[in-house]
Parts: sequence; C-alpha cells; structure tokens
Amino acid sequence: MRHLKNLRLLSSSALLSAGIFAMGFSSVAMAGKATVALPSGELGATSYDPIRSSKLNTATSLIYDRLVEQDADQSFHPHLATSWTESPDGMSWTFKLRDGVKFHDGEVFNADTIASWIPDFKDTENAYLVAAIKSVEIVDPLTVKFVMERPEPNLLYNLASTFMGVPGQKSYDSLGKDYGVSTAIGTGPFKLSSFEIGLETVVTRNDDYAWASGLSVNQGAAHLESVTFREIPDQSTAFLELKTGGIDLLLGVPTDFLSILEAEKNVGVITMAGTGISYMPINTTAAPFDDIKVRQATALAINQKSILESVYKGVGSEANHFLIDTLPAGDVKKELLVSFDSAKANTLLDEAGWAMGDGGVRMKDGKPLQVTLFTKNDSDLKRLTQVVQAQLKDVGMDAVITVFDSSTIRDEYKKNAHQLAVRNYDWNNADILEWFFSGTRVGYPNVSMWTDEKSEMLKDTAMTKSTTSAERVANFKTYHEYILSQHLFAPLYQPAQNIAFNKDTVTVPEKVRGPRFRSQTFVDIDVVK
Amino acid sequence: MILKYSIQRLLMIIPVSLAISVVIFLIVHLLPGDPIDNLIRVGSSPEDRIALTAKYGLDQPLITQYFLWIGQIMTGDFGQAIVLRRPVADLIAQNLPYSLQLGGLAFLFSSIVGIILGTVAWASRNTWGEQLVKGFILLGSTVPGFWLALLMILLFAVNLGWFPVSGARDWTALVLPVLTIGFGGIALVARVTRVALLDVGKQDFITLLHAKGLSRTAILFKHLIPHALLPVVTILALRIGWILGGAVTVEFVFGRPGLGSLLIRALGQRDYPVVQGSLLMLALAVMIGTLIGDIAQAAMDPRIREATK
Repeated sequence: MRHLKNLRLLSSSALLSAGIFAMGFSSVAMAGKATVALPSGELGATSYDPIRSSKLNTATSLIYDRLVEQDADQSFHPHLATSWTESPDGMSWTFKLRDGVKFHDGEVFNADTIASWIPDFKDTENAYLVAAIKSVEIVDPLTVKFVMERPEPNLLYNLASTFMGVPGQKSYDSLGKDYGVSTAIGTGPFKLSSFEIGLETVVTRNDDYAWASGLSVNQGAAHLESVTFREIPDQSTAFLELKTGGIDLLLGVPTDFLSILEAEKNVGVITMAGTGISYMPINTTAAPFDDIKVRQATALAINQKSILESVYKGVGSEANHFLIDTLPAGDVKKELLVSFDSAKANTLLDEAGWAMGDGGVRMKDGKPLQVTLFTKNDSDLKRLTQVVQAQLKDVGMDAVITVFDSSTIRDEYKKNAHQLAVRNYDWNNADILEWFFSGTRVGYPNVSMWTDEKSEMLKDTAMTKSTTSAERVANFKTYHEYILSQHLFAPLYQPAQNIAFNKDTVTVPEKVRGPRFRSQTFVDIDVVK
Repeated sequence: MILKYSIQRLLMIIPVSLAISVVIFLIVHLLPGDPIDNLIRVGSSPEDRIALTAKYGLDQPLITQYFLWIGQIMTGDFGQAIVLRRPVADLIAQNLPYSLQLGGLAFLFSSIVGIILGTVAWASRNTWGEQLVKGFILLGSTVPGFWLALLMILLFAVNLGWFPVSGARDWTALVLPVLTIGFGGIALVARVTRVALLDVGKQDFITLLHAKGLSRTAILFKHLIPHALLPVVTILALRIGWILGGAVTVEFVFGRPGLGSLLIRALGQRDYPVVQGSLLMLALAVMIGTLIGDIAQAAMDPRIREATK
C-alpha cells in the first residue's frame, strides 16, 4: 500500500512534465454519452445492492431515487415522498408518496413498495438506518406511516442516504444475494446497463423518468443518453484521461491538482463545500495531555489560516470546531471556537509547568516536551502533518511523526499507544461527535480516549432523547460545546470538493445541488451541442 | 516416464499447499488491523460491532478459524468476503481474466523477444551490437515499472494518440500495459539466454561440432539453443505465478482490474477471506508453474528423465 501511495506522489510529480506533450481535446461526449471518473474514495464497490452493500458509489444515486433528498445546505427536500409529517411525540412519521413512479422493470412504486422494503434491512450491516422504525403501516396506496420504536429526528438524513435508494421489490426478492451485481432495478434517471467490478459501470437513460426532485432544473428524462463510470485509481492517469478526452468529468480532484487543471484552457473546475474536516485528536489519557491546559495550548498552537494558505492554496476553508460549517450544530458560542493564539498557547504551557528550554523545546522536571504525532501513509495527510509538526515546534513542543497504514494505525489507537494524530473524516451529520467522542468507542474511533460522565449524558440526550429535529440540533450543539470546552482535539482544515470537466464536451450546472455531486446534478448535465 | 514423474510432482502439491495455507492464514491474521473497522459506519452502535465480529467468526480462537476456513477450501468454497461482500471465488473469477490477459501476453512477449535478443547479443558478441543489447538489458532491469508506464502513456496515448490512456475496454488498452510489463521481462530473459548460450558455447561438444564441419546456423539452432534454453525455461516457469499477481503497479497506473489489485485492496481493508483466497491461488499458480517448468525440462533433458527412473 505504501508503495502505491509513493507511486501516486511520484506520478503526480511526473505529471508536471506532461505539459511538454501538447495535445488537443477530442470529443467523446458525442451522441449524448459521457464518461466519468469516480472519486478515489468510491473505488472498489462490488455491488449495487443498497441494502446489503458496505460501499456504494455515485452511480448508485443515478439508479435509485430516495424518498427524501438533501441539499448542499443540509436541508431536506421531497422526492419519492412528496411531503411528510412527524407526530409531536416523534413516535410516528407519515409520508405521502409520489404518484406515477415506475421502476425500470415496469413495477409500480407505491406504499406496498415501502412496506416490503424497510423490513429487508433486518440483519444487514445497514439495519441501523431503520432501527428506530418499529413497523410500516399502509394508510392508502400512496401514504405510509412509520410507527417508531423511539423518536428518530435523524430519520430524514437516513432516508436521504444512498443506502436508502429504493430498489424494485420484485427484482430484489427474486434475485436474493445476487441482486445488485448484474441487475439493479430502481426508479432513478438511469438504468444499470453493465457493471464490471473494479473497471466500469455503464448506466443508460430512463426515458420514462418524469419525477426528478425539485433540486434538479430538468424535471424530465436526463439529457445524457448514457454515463460510463470508470474506476481509475491513479489520479495522474485520470487527469491524462480528462486531458485527452477519455473522460468528460473527474469527480473528487485532489486540491494539489487544481493548479495543473486550471492551466488547461478546456478544463472547467467546480469547487463546492466539503463534507468533512481534518483534525488532530489529543489522547486525553496520555501525559502531558491529561492536563487540560496542555491540551488547550496544543489546540491554540495550530494556525488554521496558515494551513489553508500554505498547504491548500486557499481552497477549502478554515476549521474552527468539529463539524462542517453547514451543520447547524456547528453554530457554537464564539468563545469556544478554536483558532490560533500563540501567546495564549505559550502562557498556558508556562502555567502547566513546561518552561521553554535552550533548544526551543519546553522542559518540565528535566524532561523535554516530546510527543508522538501519528499519521496515515495512504492519505494526503502527510504534508499536513509536517506543517502541524512545525507549528507545534513554534510553541516548544517537539512532535515526532510516525506513519502507519490505515489498518495498523487503528490497532495503535486501540492499544493506547498514541498521543497526537492527524486524521480526517467525511460525514455531514452531527452524530459524528458520538462516533469520535463516545465513551463506548474508546481507542477507535474515540482516538481522544475520552470518557467523561457529563459528556456521556449529553451524548445520550443528543443521540436518543431528542424528539424533534430542532431539539436534536439544540442537544447536539450543547454536546458539541462541551466537547470543545474540554479541548479534545485541534481542528485543522475543512477540505473542499473539486470536480473537473471537459468544457468542450459537457456542460455542468454552475450550482451543485446536494451535499455531493450526485443524481440531482447529473440529470442537468448536457453535452456541448 | 514423464507421466509418472508428473503425477509424483502433482501429488506433492497437496502437502505443500496445506503448509502454505497455515503460513498464509497466520501472516494475515497476525497483521495488526481488523476488517470490522472497515465495515461499520457512523450511526451504527457498539453492539452492532460485536454482532458483526461474531457473524464473521472473528471472535473464535485462531485455530478454530483456521480449520473452518481450510474445511471450506477443501469443499471448494473460498468463503464470503467480509468487507467486499461477495463470494471470494466470484471476486477471484472476475479479476482472473484481466490478470491472465495482461500477464499471459506480457509473458509471451517478453519470452519471445527476450530469447531473440539474448541470442542476438550472443551472436554479436564483442561487437557494438552486443553493447547495445547489454545496454537495453541494463535499462530494462532498472527502470521502475510505474515510471515506464507513465512515460508510455505520455508518449503513445497523450502525444501520439495511438492507444487509450487507461482501462480494459478492448485490445488496444492492452498494448501499453503489456509493453510496460514485458520490458522488464525481456531484460531478464535476454540476460539469462545470453549467459546460457555463452556457457554452452564453451563446451567441448560444440567445439567438436565445429570440428566436424557443421554450419554455424545448424549448430546454433540444432544444438546450442536447445541446450541453452534449459535455464531459460526454469526462469520462465518461476514467472508463471508472477503472471497472475505481479502487475499491481501497472494495474494501478493503467486503471485495470486484476488479482494483484484485488489482493492489495483486500489487504488494506484486512478482508481476511479475500487475502487468504487470493494468496492461496497465487501460491498454487507458482507451484503449478514450477511443475510445468520441471516437466518441460524433463521433456527436453534426457538426463532428468533418466534420474527419475
């Protein structure tokens, strides 16, 4: 794995020399066909079965529609469900379903579909998505009622997930475990035409499609006749494919590549808000970080602005708390936001008894302030980690970097062998706080090794005791603020999502609807006439 | 006689495979990491994690897990991938054709061109021709595959536009990866061929043949090459296993599926059944490759046949 990543680095530098080979674009998006390179995080999906898969890609969102869609601002919008109401106690949800919707095999979409679909999740890895639903009642052919086990204000988020794309029940039931490999039946704007694992997926237009969500401008069938999704692991190769016309759209362009892409006059680049952050968890059980002053000083030593400018050339945004900016639970009290304050960091370290030593490294009881800083080799994090190391050095902390592969590093966390680490996550929901700071997940994913009674109570309230969506936001905000007050991590950076396309072959809507570049936007893509 | 020899050798594969299966199982399971970490997602509960660990039998003692796995293998069942969520046999079957195509063609290409080049180098010894081939051999054995791959893409796909940059859609997409992998192979085969020809050429029976007045061409094709091919065949046989799994970096750059890529992906996610299944397949391929090489040698060399009588 390390070899592959080294290879990626080397190959990206080799890219710079690509400029010496001048070559015009050839148009491949002829006849309404477009080819798309999937982002690296989506490679390796082995099935288009949304219920049983552990990994799905963008093509899944084109095959299946969801009851609810999410926009880039994280708000929810009707799709196969035209409206919904939640009972005041949160114990039932009623969804009105869209009329006239048909699956790719002709099966009609209605309340029966939902009643048979929800129980299919039982005993699968994705069962947690519907765990709060006790039963589904059919009110009339186009109305269903979810009777809840407990209030679940996060239900709409789950329903908007790619894993909750609605499959055709006849096909799903008859194919069993083979469903999703050669056959995948949804109501989406494209039908699965062929799927070769690890190579490519071809989807063709669903000509009957007349039920796009309000997030798409085009309310009819997609403009494109077919889309080929290719799996290209090497970013340099993907770039050369875009350059030579082999692909029309490149999803998930690393920020490093932007300057090279922008230099190409026929390449258009769309930068949209990301769905995660990079951060540095602090192991609260490992000295000297068992001292809250040292933790706070460490967090304040990080210069987010400098990271954004020097590492990412201003693409993306600063991170000052644990959630992405578009989540309302991120709207915390100003005094709790974490941002660079070198003077305060130095004062706090002085107060904690760590006095500046001769070599620029602080000392206490004859011991230098030397700590470990873990990072992964299979990520773009290594450069970020080096900058963090230099920033910690500025306040007298000597951080020694150790690089691991992604599986080994988790074992190190579980063994409590770490002090600081540079990590990132990709998740657009406030429940990520529970994932990384819950006392029941200490080691991994709770890399901060945080256990605290008050924190657990706030977590339980946020996770399971909220009735309405507004209550859930308020509870998560309180939990988030408490986490921030304990200085369990340092926020580093909020990455952007970059998409590049061949301006000679396709037109892409300027405004991307949805947290990611998915079906809502794909139906609006057209070929250059 | 060759048949008896072949059967004996074939039977040997069984105990060797068993021993290898233990080694593979232990290496894979003793690596740090846990496949369940790659399966659970934000929102699932800690109880879900425990249930999943039990579902895939990962809470059982290692020895029990081994016997369950090897028991399955004995019945021809490679098991179910944990993270990749498909039967391991399906995953291998889907990737195998790509590996066979690429590895097989690169093998053929490098063997044929390598033997010819090695012979040319030998025939033109002490001339600039030999220096040229020796230079090529040096280049071929030292140039890293991924660098060559990028160079090939830049020249033949981006600049000249003769072949696609990547993919595995049709035969045109095979040319550059085959050339890239073949280049390193040619150097190896040419080197071994040249040295073998030099060795054989020094032997007394060749001198005798020259003394008897046989033409140089007849000596080369009837006597020298058949003798010199023996070590070449050994080297080639060892590379049969490499056909299947040795193209990881080239697969990565050219965006091709293959057993090597499957193995690397599964290893990164600690998808034990896939890693074990693929490694066992590769080990079997190496054993069978060696066997084919030995049988070919026995067929070509009467001394080996005699020794096994």
